[in-house]
Amino acid sequence: MADTFTITVDGKPVEAHAGEMVLRAAQRAGVHIPTLCDDKRLEPAGACRACLVEIDGQRRLQPSCAWKVAPNQNIKTQETSKRVQRHQDVLVSLYMADHKLDDEGLPVETCNGNGLREWAQECQTLSLDPVEAPRAARPGDKNPYITFQPELCVLCARCTRYCDEVEAVNAITLTGRGSETTIGTAGMRGLLDTSCELCGGCIDTCPTGALVEQKAIEILPHQIERKVRTTCNYCGVGCQMDLNVAKVDGIEQVVRVTSPPPGETVNDGNLCIKGRFAYDFIHHKDRITEPMIRKPDGKLHGVSWDEALKFAAEGMKKVQQRHGPKALGFISSARCTGEENYLMSKVARAAFKTGNVHSCAAT
Amino acid sequence: MSNSIPEIRDLDFMLVIGSNTTEAHPIIGMEMKIARQRGARLIVADPRKIWLTEYADLHLQLKPGTDVWLINAMAKVIIDEDLVDKDFIKTHTEGWPELKANLAKFNLPEAEQATGLPAEVIRAAAIEYATTRKAAIYYTLGITEHAHGSDNIFSLANLVMMTGHLGVRHGGLNSLRGQNNVQGATDAGATPLYYTGFQSAEDPAVRAKFEKAWATDLPATIGLNLNAIMEGVKEGNVKALYVMGEDILISEPNTNHLEKGVKELEFLIHQDIFMNETTKYASVVFPAACFAEKDGVFTNTDRRVQRVRKAVNPPGNARPDCQILADFARASGYAMPDYKDAGEIYAEIASLAPRFAGISHERLDRTPMGIQWPCTSPEHEGTAYMHKDGPVKGKGTFVVTNFRPSVEMPNREYPFSLATGRVLYHYNSGTQTRRDSGTMDKVGECQIEVHEEDAAGLGLKDGDMVKIVSRRGGIKARVWISGRVQKGCVWMPLHFVDAAINKLTIDAGDPLAGTAEYKVCAVNLLPVKPGAERAERSELVESRPVLGA
Ligand code: SF4
Ligand code: SF4
Ligand code: FES
Repeated sequence: MADTFTITVDGKPVEAHAGEMVLRAAQRAGVHIPTLCDDKRLEPAGACRACLVEIDGQRRLQPSCAWKVAPNQNIKTQETSKRVQRHQDVLVSLYMADHKLDDEGLPVETCNGNGLREWAQECQTLSLDPVEAPRAARPGDKNPYITFQPELCVLCARCTRYCDEVEAVNAITLTGRGSETTIGTAGMRGLLDTSCELCGGCIDTCPTGALVEQKAIEILPHQIERKVRTTCNYCGVGCQMDLNVAKVDGIEQVVRVTSPPPGETVNDGNLCIKGRFAYDFIHHKDRITEPMIRKPDGKLHGVSWDEALKFAAEGMKKVQQRHGPKALGFISSARCTGEENYLMSKVARAAFKTGNVHSCAAT
Repeated sequence: MSNSIPEIRDLDFMLVIGSNTTEAHPIIGMEMKIARQRGARLIVADPRKIWLTEYADLHLQLKPGTDVWLINAMAKVIIDEDLVDKDFIKTHTEGWPELKANLAKFNLPEAEQATGLPAEVIRAAAIEYATTRKAAIYYTLGITEHAHGSDNIFSLANLVMMTGHLGVRHGGLNSLRGQNNVQGATDAGATPLYYTGFQSAEDPAVRAKFEKAWATDLPATIGLNLNAIMEGVKEGNVKALYVMGEDILISEPNTNHLEKGVKELEFLIHQDIFMNETTKYASVVFPAACFAEKDGVFTNTDRRVQRVRKAVNPPGNARPDCQILADFARASGYAMPDYKDAGEIYAEIASLAPRFAGISHERLDRTPMGIQWPCTSPEHEGTAYMHKDGPVKGKGTFVVTNFRPSVEMPNREYPFSLATGRVLYHYNSGTQTRRDSGTMDKVGECQIEVHEEDAAGLGLKDGDMVKIVSRRGGIKARVWISGRVQKGCVWMPLHFVDAAINKLTIDAGDPLAGTAEYKVCAVNLLPVKPGAERAERSELVESRPVLGA
């Protein structure tokens, strides 16, 4: 079989690579197919049935996320197939019967969005009687980051599969049976008492906001003014992350960190506890906010930038004149940017004529 | 890294030596786990039963500081079994006969003695590495932060070259850089050895080029490395310091002695985002912007240059470090250009360093994967793996290495060998993560990992307080019988101010790299009488998380 061939989706030719799933080829061509349990990083589960399509020669609708492409395949999505659209209308309504709805009868919005809500807005939903079978939470879980809202879970198992297939710690699993199935831990312990590494990947992959970050739970997506793509400032892996900025008490702040979509960056959408959660320091009250100089009383006093810069320059110059450039040391930092390190080396060499410049932790 | 992070998941064999990857480089650890789940073999060489060993096919729990024995014995096995890559050696290397002759003495029975590892296991690991095509080696501080760190790395490089695992996708010798921009700091020229882009500071032509670009005369000799600067501070030869973004009194070894030197400094400028131990002695404090408040680039461990972007304003009157440095240079009488933004500074770097010539902020903004150097022109796509057409410097040189014991070996007075390192939940001196409520819940105070039998011998129980003394100082910590350290060894994390571990460690530097020996020093443990120390633990820390359970 050729490596690349053409399939037809909704009457249009779409390029497909041998071995991939119909959903991937369609997504690459910009075709929208609703999904809940799909995540590029995970083995296809075909569990949620949201992505069903009509495939020529198949009597039943088939999950596009778990169905391989074949040459000359003819696919119909909800765009061109009434049958697919009808299936979706019923399915989304069934999900909604077991989901927390807002005043307008739509799945509730969460700080992590809600994919079910978006999908419902594309469908003609039917009003079904709500399912009266509350899923269990973990009442004793005091972990500081990750909150589970069982009334929003659609049991797509993305979180548990991520925990197994990607993070490989198996801290959370599907537990219970039938209508009591929920996301649990061994013995329903809190996450801190399991093998959980608090990477937060489950939050990132959850399609409905059933798993969310505790810290800024009340800040909804529309309140985020912008997401700024940047590089994590902790370790040398260099994960890419999006700083989410919102106004808190009128001041713009980083209120959460989210990961870029899988496949786009070196970290493939993954982050660790530090990158995803350890951002409190940015707006911490202990940050230094004023330049200071040590006055004759032996104490540091806040001064203007001009005064601090002048004092600093004179102080360094004096030592340079008295003892020569070799008596100076310039310690740069592996925490600072390339440009800053470059300038530090330039300051040492060009302004103070010394080669005594090195970054701390030179490993 | 000679190779790339995205290659990891397609490897067939990984040797991870002295790298606590899942804790120090979690996302690389994750890639390794993904590779493992896809059937790759994973061998971890580490004195401690680190987390990653749970995913490993084989854990080589060698005695601390005996890496050269292990690696050279593996090399000898590969020679004896005739598994060397003769073509690669012939075309791309020099020094093979000398190396081969020297390796003759690293025989398996003695290696077994030295490392404590069964000869058969060493042999099997060597054969598997040599006979697997997609095989890569990863190492980090665990082996570089030794007084003989360079020997360790040369030994590994020998192993990689003799088997031809270099210059190919899915191979190589990969050093995992600790901090976010360790690579980038050296790239930029914050090292006495090089101007930006690894251009030798001793080369008159390079100096001339920079004198022209910077419009001033430059020092004719190379300067002191970090270790030597700190030595100078202690001895009183270095009289003024400008410290940017570091707490030298926590992160440098043997801090007791250093603190005295810092006190005596005539002038100290400290530029940082938080006050810390170093600030106590500062003559001037410059408030800096943190990474979320400024623009620039970081270069990660696989040479990937990526953007840092401003999301919010710095607090109060804090300013980006670039602006502070430029203003300071001008106040000192040097005509630093009036850069309009960090992109313009990067353009200056790119114009002076051929290695980065093809990189610019504009191009990075169009490239979510970042650009891996060398990238020599705007058309050059960057370099996913190095040494493709043979070693970059022409021929790879085999360097003869011999075992040298650690500078400080345990003795009767200091019977334990102390190693230090990171835990997942904290980052270096901890000024950032220790302010975060959640990470403090996970690991809330300093613990020392002790072997069960050693603890029993001293009458210590899990959770007891203990005083740890070395020849240089003493600190307290709580005993944790973790089951992860060998008998005779203890281990502590780096992150806690109240148990400033570098009071204990030794500042014997690697003569070549100027890296301090953080890893091994000799200590004794003195039980602290019950009642003398009250346990202060939050409710959450009470149920101590078993890291890696
Ligand atoms: S918590 Fe989220 S990711 Fe996990 S099964 Fe429920 S809906 Fe899916
Ligand atoms: S998110 Fe974690 S693994 Fe990634 S760069 Fe940050 S600290 Fe390193
Ligand atoms: S996305 Fe295909 S079955 Fe869930």
